Order: sequence, then C-alpha cells, then structure tokens
Amino acid sequence: MLLDIVQNTLDGLAIGSAYGLLAIGFTLIFGVMRRLNIAFGPSIMVGIFAGAWLHSQWSAGMIPVFLATLAGAVLASAYVERISFAAIRGDAALASMASSFAIWMQLEEAVVHVFPGRTYAFPTLQTIPMLEIGPVFLRPEYLAMFLTAAALILLLQWILTRTRFGLEVRTLADNPEAARVSGVNVAQVAFLTFLLAAVIGGVAGFLIAATDGQITPKIGLWATMKGLIAMVIGGLGSLRGALIGGLVLGVVEAQAQWFLGAAGREIVTYTLLFLALVMLPSGLAGRADAGARTEALRRL
Amino acid sequence: MDAFTISVLSNIGLFSFLAISAWVLLICGEISFGQQAYFAIGAYAGGIATAVWQWPFALGVGFGVVLGAVIGGLVAWPTTRLSGMHYAIATLAFAEFVRSCLNVFSYQREVDGYLTGPDGANGFRDIRWAYEAGVEPLGYLGIIAAGLAAVIGLIACMARGRGMAQLRIVGEDPILAGMQGLNVNRIRIAAATLAGGIAALGGALYAHLATYVEPAQFGVMIGVHSLAYGLIGGLGTVFGPILGVLVDIGLLESLRVFSSYRMIVFGGLVALVLILRPRGILDEKTVRRIQAWLRR
Repeated sequence: MLLDIVQNTLDGLAIGSAYGLLAIGFTLIFGVMRRLNIAFGPSIMVGIFAGAWLHSQWSAGMIPVFLATLAGAVLASAYVERISFAAIRGDAALASMASSFAIWMQLEEAVVHVFPGRTYAFPTLQTIPMLEIGPVFLRPEYLAMFLTAAALILLLQWILTRTRFGLEVRTLADNPEAARVSGVNVAQVAFLTFLLAAVIGGVAGFLIAATDGQITPKIGLWATMKGLIAMVIGGLGSLRGALIGGLVLGVVEAQAQWFLGAAGREIVTYTLLFLALVMLPSGLAGRADAGARTEALRRL
Repeated sequence: MDAFTISVLSNIGLFSFLAISAWVLLICGEISFGQQAYFAIGAYAGGIATAVWQWPFALGVGFGVVLGAVIGGLVAWPTTRLSGMHYAIATLAFAEFVRSCLNVFSYQREVDGYLTGPDGANGFRDIRWAYEAGVEPLGYLGIIAAGLAAVIGLIACMARGRGMAQLRIVGEDPILAGMQGLNVNRIRIAAATLAGGIAALGGALYAHLATYVEPAQFGVMIGVHSLAYGLIGGLGTVFGPILGVLVDIGLLESLRVFSSYRMIVFGGLVALVLILRPRGILDEKTVRRIQAWLRR
C-alpha cells in the first residue's frame, strides 16, 4: 500500500513534469498577451505528427524526430499568433480566444486529412532497461522526461532572468504600458514569446509521445486540457505555480488511476480542480486574485 | 420538406439552445466552456422521466429544465466571484465532472419487460416518447421551434424590461453596476440559472429526438463550439448565436461541397470574421443601427 503510493508518486512526478512544461507554455503566452491561446495543444499536435511522419518515411532517429517536432510546433504556433493574436486588437481577448479555437479546428482537420488512420507510431526510448531502486521501479523514459523537463526549466529560468529578451518579457508581463514607454518592441517580444512557448510545448509533446509510443489527433485536446488545468491549479500568471500545478496534477492522477481506475481518476481530477478553483482561486503559488479580476474584466 | 432538410433544421434548433445558453453568460461577462453539462443533465433527466418513470413528455422536459436551472444556479453560487479565466476553467471542470460521472451512472428499471435507463458509458437507449406518441420528424421540428421561440420570447421580454440591461451592465463594468445598487453576484447567479435552464431544454429535446444519448456526446468540443457560435454571430442580440449556428451547421454541414474540409473552411471563416469584427457579425453597434433603421 505505502509502496504503491511511493511508486505512483514517482510516476506522477514524471508525467507531472511534462504537464508542468505545458502549463509553463500557457503561462508564458498568457503573461505577455493577457489572452488565452487554446490552440496551444493542437499546435504541439502538429509538431508531434511532423515527427511521426519523419519517423515513418525515413525511419529517422530520435534527434531528427525531436527537431521535426519542435519545428512543426513552432510553425503552427507562428500561424496561430499571426491569425488569432497579431491580427486582432489587444483589448478583444474573447475574440482572440474564439479565433484560436477556430484555428484549432483547422489544425486538427488538416492533420486528420494528412494522417487518415486512427493511431500512429512514435519512436520510443524503451531500449534502456528498467531501473530498480530498492523496491521501487523507475521507467527510464520517465526519468528522461523528468530530467529533460528540469533542464529545460533551468534554461528558461536563465533566459528570463539573465538575458535582455527575458527582461523584456518580464516587463511586458508586468506592465504592458511601461514596456511600451521604455522602448520594448511589444509586437516582436510577444511573437518571440509565443515561439518560445511553442518550443517548450514541443519538448513536452515529444516527451509524452515518446513515452506512449503511439499518437492520435486527440492529443491536441488532451495537451490543452492538461496545460490549462495545471496552470490554473498553480495560479494564473506564475511560472513557478505552473510547474507546481503540473506536478500536483500528475501525482493526483497517478494515485487516482491506481486506486480508483480510469473513470474514478477523471471524477477525482475534475472534482479537485473545481474545489481548488473555488477555495483557492489564487492558486498554489499565485498572487491575490483581486487585481487579476479587474484586469481581466477590463480586457473582456 | 424532405427528411434531410428537417434533420438539418432540427440540429440547428437544438444547437441554438446551447449557443444561446453560452451567449447569456457572455452578455454578463462570463465565459463558459461548460454549457454542455446542462445539455447533458437535461437530456438524461428528461429521458429518465419519460422513458423510465413514464411521465408525460411536457412534464419530463420540464423536469429536465428545472434540474438544469437549479444545478446551474448552484454551480454559479461559489464560482461567480472567480475572475474570467478561473470561471471559464471552473465551468470546464464541472462539465467534465458531469461527463465522467455519467460514465459510471447506471439507473435501469424494467419498463414493459425491457431494462430501460442509463447504463454508464454504454449510454441510454430507447427514449422512445416520439415514436410511441406517433410524432413525425416534422412535428418534432415544430416542438423544437416552439421551444426556441419561447426562449427567444423570454429574452425579448427581458430586453423590454430591465433584465437584459442589468445583465449587460454587469458584463460591461461590474464595479459600476455595483455602484448603481445592483447586486452583481445575484444577477450573475440568475444568468447562470437561466443559461442552465435553456441548455437543459435543448438537451431534453435532443434526447427525445435522438432516442439514444451517451456521455461521450457531451465532451469539451461541443461546449467550445457553442461559445464560438455567439462570438461569430455577435453579442448584440439573441439572433447572434443562432446566426453562428446557421453558418456552421446550416451552411457548411449541409453543403456537401465543403463536407470533408468543413472544419478548415469554418475555422478560416471564423478567424476572418473575428479579425474584421471582434464582437461578432451582429455586434451591439450593428444592432442599434438596424433598430434605428426599423424605427424610421
């Protein structure tokens, strides 16, 4: 029993680190745009299918597949940004959200047209043997997932705190007016942040696809849901919160899956999410919600 | 009318309930991804009432509507104080919660020698009121149209009175609304109750048309669609969301030319409309201009 809990926690932390990456991607976009890009998951899906295509055509190795996944995600994201965010006035947050949903449908339909089958194979890391630490097992792809996510988060931390671009991103997230006045090229920084989020999401998507070994177009919806949920549990607009939210979501899902099965997992996850929202609206690491409320309302 | 036209019109009518339901909340400044939950509640409650308990049709549909409205109000009670994004995710969480509960919800009783009622993920068969009462598809379309007319009439009454103005001021500027002496939270809860009831009415009518419902039909996609309908059609009048449904189902699903590229065409169309008109085709300004023109 206790051992099960420990094992589930380990598995959950690995999956949760990928959820955390998805949530960080959402948070970056939300931070600089104050708008929600619900086509984030589907953009990642386009990347994953680009990787799978490369794998099936030329049986490419892990590194080309990885690069193709990132490239696909970045291209799809750039398309979303141009159509749904750059072309729509900044104060029409609802319009951007609806528009990104429209692009989502386009991306999904396009992928279904190019890949008419139900599921596709994705190269996996399963050549490495299972690690055994005492009585607990550690799947190598989970370990790789966790370590890659950790490295990427450290890199992101460095970009955001040590580079000029990072400074501009943080200024823009804090106060768009002040950023504009002090000479930040708002449109350009927003665009680049979008692409940065796409890279992070692409890595998360690659890790998840390489763990599962098979992909369907449903992964777009799945990635959007997990990222949104993790972001909101952690607290809107906080990168640290997004990571914590992802880990919490991963662990809770793993425990519920083990003890209650798939149907029980869904009920528990959504009940927890609902309760977390109602009782702890500022999230696990967020700021007080009062400012966010007036800000959000002003923009809607 | 041929059978195809009738089924397309029925679909347009049924989706209009969902779209209007999401639109009512949009008007008072709340984004809901989760109106499909009340659609599902209406479908299951209405279906159980007529098929399992053998209630008359009107009473069964009424039961679905009341249940949807009450649950809508109860869910809104703790969630209305959340900010826009949080509210949107809370509605999504509730809708997925309802769907995953329906996946394990089993309630079967023997009716005329057959086991009838919802059976978890296998769905809910034999909601046969329309067959047993001998209602033709055209007649059922009339029932849907009557229901839709009632909803439009109710909203028209609210627009004549103070109700709609109160919703709009709460949506535009809740702080100003509070200063005017309006109880912002109570108005939001009322709006969510109304929206829940409208969606449940659509759901109850849907269940009796389809005769079969299952939890998988009430996923996130349908909820986001119904939200998008209002945004494309426009926030200015209740005909906005209906226009959105017409564009999607009427124009694209029915024209076979587009059938296999429907989502690509519809998606591009929506993106284009939103770039040109961020508050939809029939936005407030257009509606005022049309009203002024009609008054002349």
